[in-house]
Amino acid sequence: MQKNKKDEWSFAWLGALCLVLRTPTDTVRAAPICDNGQASCQVLSLADLFDRVIQHSSRMHGMSNDLHSQFEQYFLPSRNHISNRVNRNCHTSGILTPNGKENAQRLAVKELTEVILKLLWAWRDPLWHFHQSMAHHDDFNSFSSNKALVMGDLVHELRTGVEKVAEKMQNLGIISNLVNGLRSPEQLLPSPVRPQWSLMNDYDLLFCLRRDSNKVQSYLKILKCRIVPENDC
Amino acid sequence: MTSSAPSSPHFTACVSRDQATFRCWWSEGSFHNLSQPGALRVFYRYKKNSPWKECPEYIHSNKECFFDSNHTTIWTSCCVQLRSHDNVTYFNTEHCFSVENIVRPDPPVAVNWTLLGVSPYGLHYDVIVTWDPPASADVSMGWMSLAYEVQYRRWNSSEWTVVEVQGGTQQTLYGLNVEEEYEVHIRSRMKAFTKFGGYSDSIFIQLANYPGRESIFPVALVLGILAVVILLMLLLFSQQQRLTLLLLPPVPTPKIKGIDSEMLKKGKFEELNFILSGGGMGSSCTPLFYQDEPLVDCIELDPLDPADTGDKGGQSSEAQRLIGGRQASGRPTVGGLSHTLSFCDEDDDSVVGDPPNQDALWTLLTTPSPSPTSALLLPGQPELKQGFPGGRDPDPSLAHDGAPRPQAWLNTDFYAQVSDVMPSGGVVLSPGQQLRAQESTAAREGQKEKEEEEPEQQFQLVVMAADPVGDGYTTDAMNWQTGVVNGYHTLPAESVGDVIAPSVAVKSAEDYQPSYILPDASPTPARYLPPVSDYTIVQEVDYQHSLILNPPPPQAPAHQCLPLHPLKPLTPMPVGYITPDLLGSITP
Repeated sequence: MQKNKKDEWSFAWLGALCLVLRTPTDTVRAAPICDNGQASCQVLSLADLFDRVIQHSSRMHGMSNDLHSQFEQYFLPSRNHISNRVNRNCHTSGILTPNGKENAQRLAVKELTEVILKLLWAWRDPLWHFHQSMAHHDDFNSFSSNKALVMGDLVHELRTGVEKVAEKMQNLGIISNLVNGLRSPEQLLPSPVRPQWSLMNDYDLLFCLRRDSNKVQSYLKILKCRIVPENDC
Repeated sequence: MTSSAPSSPHFTACVSRDQATFRCWWSEGSFHNLSQPGALRVFYRYKKNSPWKECPEYIHSNKECFFDSNHTTIWTSCCVQLRSHDNVTYFNTEHCFSVENIVRPDPPVAVNWTLLGVSPYGLHYDVIVTWDPPASADVSMGWMSLAYEVQYRRWNSSEWTVVEVQGGTQQTLYGLNVEEEYEVHIRSRMKAFTKFGGYSDSIFIQLANYPGRESIFPVALVLGILAVVILLMLLLFSQQQRLTLLLLPPVPTPKIKGIDSEMLKKGKFEELNFILSGGGMGSSCTPLFYQDEPLVDCIELDPLDPADTGDKGGQSSEAQRLIGGRQASGRPTVGGLSHTLSFCDEDDDSVVGDPPNQDALWTLLTTPSPSPTSALLLPGQPELKQGFPGGRDPDPSLAHDGAPRPQAWLNTDFYAQVSDVMPSGGVVLSPGQQLRAQESTAAREGQKEKEEEEPEQQFQLVVMAADPVGDGYTTDAMNWQTGVVNGYHTLPAESVGDVIAPSVAVKSAEDYQPSYILPDASPTPARYLPPVSDYTIVQEVDYQHSLILNPPPPQAPAHQCLPLHPLKPLTPMPVGYITPDLLGSITP
C-alpha cells in the first residue's frame, strides 16, 4: 500500500517535471494574449507580436532545414545538392504564393496574412503523420524524430500566433475580417489536382516543409515591415 | 588539366547574392570553337510545362547570364540550359535549382576591431571585431537573415581559427598574444542555409608595446628578493642564541678564589686531591686531635739590625700575641726581624729567639712597604739550600726565579703570605698547603737534621695549616711540633734557630679552611687570637674605621674526614687579601 503511494507521488513529480520541461528547445513561447476586457494580463503591441511570431518562424525554418539535411545525409548520401529534383510537387503547391520579394511586397496585407495562415494550416496533419512514420524508423536517429515532434508543435504555435496577429490587426482596423474558411482544407487546391500528402515520401515532405517554412518567414517579415514602419523598411 | 573525354559546354555556377536576382556562368568546355560571344545561348524555365526563355541579360565578357528580379522566382525550381547558336540543344543536361538554395551573400563590409581588455600580466588581450552586413543583402527588412563566420590566424600560421556567429554583427576574440600580429576575415551566409559567400578583406590586429608588460618582471624580482630577505631574518631571529654563541663565544671570566681552575684542568686534580687528602699517608680519616693544641710551637726569627726594628719594639707583644705560641707570653718580645722569635719550649734546642724578633712577622705585616729591593724569594731558590736544616733540598718542583714552574703551581699557593722580608730585600713567603704536605716528610728529615745543626740560626718559617677538613694536616702538625718544616727560604743570616712561623693556611684552593695559630685548646686572650688566616677578607669597615674581617669558618669536628674534593662547593670566601699597604692604612 505504501509502495503504491510512493509510486503515485513519484509519477506525480515526474508528470510535473515533464510539464515544466516540455518542449525544451522552445525558448520562445507566446505569452497569453489578453482578451479584451482583462486588465490583469500584459498587453503586447503589434510590433512585439510580430517580433515573437517572426522568431517562431525562423526557428521553424531552421529546424526544418536541419531535418532535411539530416535526412539527406542519412538516407541519400550520394545525392547531388546542386541538381535538385525538378518540380517537386508539394501538397501546398496549389496555394498561390508570391514568388518573389517584390511580388510579396505588392500583395495586400490581408491576402498576405491569409497566405501565411493557409500554409500553416496545411502543414498540421502532415507533420503529425511524419512524426509517426519517423518513430517507426529504427535506423533514423531519435534526435530527428524528436525534431519532427517539436516541428509539429512549432507549426501549431506559429499558427496560433499568426492568428492572434491577424486578430489584432483586425481590431486595429488594418485589415478587414479574414476569410473564415482558412482552417478547412477545402481552401487548398481541389482534390484531384492536389497531391495527397499521404502519398509523398518523407524526403519530399521534408523538402516541401523546408521551402514552406522559408516562405512563411519571409512573408511575415515583409508583413511586419509594411504594417509596423521601421527605419529601413 | 586535360581529360581524355571532351567536356561539353556546361554551367559552371549559378549564384544569387540577394535572393532576388541571380547569375549563371557557363563554359564551352573543350569546344573552343564556341568560345566567341553568341555562340552559346542560355535558356531557362521555371515550371516543367512552361516554355523555355532565353537569358534576359547576357554579359558575354564574363560568359554570364544575369537574371533580374522580374525574371527571378523564389521557392520555385529553375532550370537553365545551354544551346548552340542555331538553337540546337547540344546539351541535354539541365541545371536546376531553387533560388533560395543558391544564395551566397556578399561579404560583410567595414570590418574593424577594438581592444576589449588585456590580461593582468600583459601577455594576452581580447578584441571585439565588428562589421556591417553587405549592402546587397536586405537585412533591414529582414528579407535575408545572415549568419557570419569569423576566421583569424597568426600571421605566420596557416591554420585559421573559425568562429561561428549566428546573429549580430560583432564577435569577441579572446586570448590573443601580445606582440603577435593577427589576420581576420569574415564571410556570411543565409541563416538555415549552408552556402557561404566570399571572404571580406583581411584586417590585421596587433597590440604592440603594451606598457604594463615590462614592469612585471622587476616587480616580481623585488618581491622575490624581499621574500628571501624576510626568510633569512626569521631564521636569524630564531637561531639568535646559537649564532651569538658561534660569533661571539663567551669570554672566560676570571674565576677562582683559591685554586686556579687551570690547575684542575691540567689534570693536577689528582695531585691536589692527593695532597688534600693527606698526601697518601694512607690515613684517609685521621682525626684532628691536634685541634685544640697549638699547631705552632716555635716561632723563630733571625736577629736583624736593631735599626730596623727599633721603632717596632712596641709591637713585640702584639706580635707575640698574634703569632701565638705556647710560650709567647713568656718570651721577651722580639723587636725586629732580625730577632728570632721562638716560642718553642718542647722543641729541642732549636729554639732560639730574641723576643724582639717576635715582632718581625707582625712588623712585616704592618710595614707599609717592603724594601724596594726586596725580591720575592720563593721556596726553591738556591739560597734556600744553605738555610735548610740539614741541607734538605728544597722542593725541586719549585722554581728558581720566582716564576713558578707550571709544576710548581701546584705546590705554590695562589696567594702566599709574606712571612718575612730578608735583609737583602727578599721576601719570604709561607708556602701553601700542598707544599707543606709534601714537605711533611721532608720536615721530619729536616727535624732530625735540625737537631744536628742546632746552633745554626735559621730563619725558618713553617707554615702549618690546621685544616679541619683536611685530615692530612694532623700528621703534619705532629711532625711540626717537633721540628720545623721549612719549605722555603731561610735567611742566610745567622739563624737563631728554627723558627716556626705561625702557620697560616694559605688558601690555595677554595676548599681550604684557613688555618690559624692555636697554641692551646683554650685560647687565652693574651696569646690566643681568633683564628686568622694568612689573608683575611675584609668584610666591612665599621664606623670606627676598624676592619671587620671575615671570620674563618669554624673548625669542623676532629673526626671529620671529608675527602677533599676540589670541586666541592667551598665556603664562599671573597677573593682578596690584605696587603701590607692596606693593612697599614686601615689599622685603627
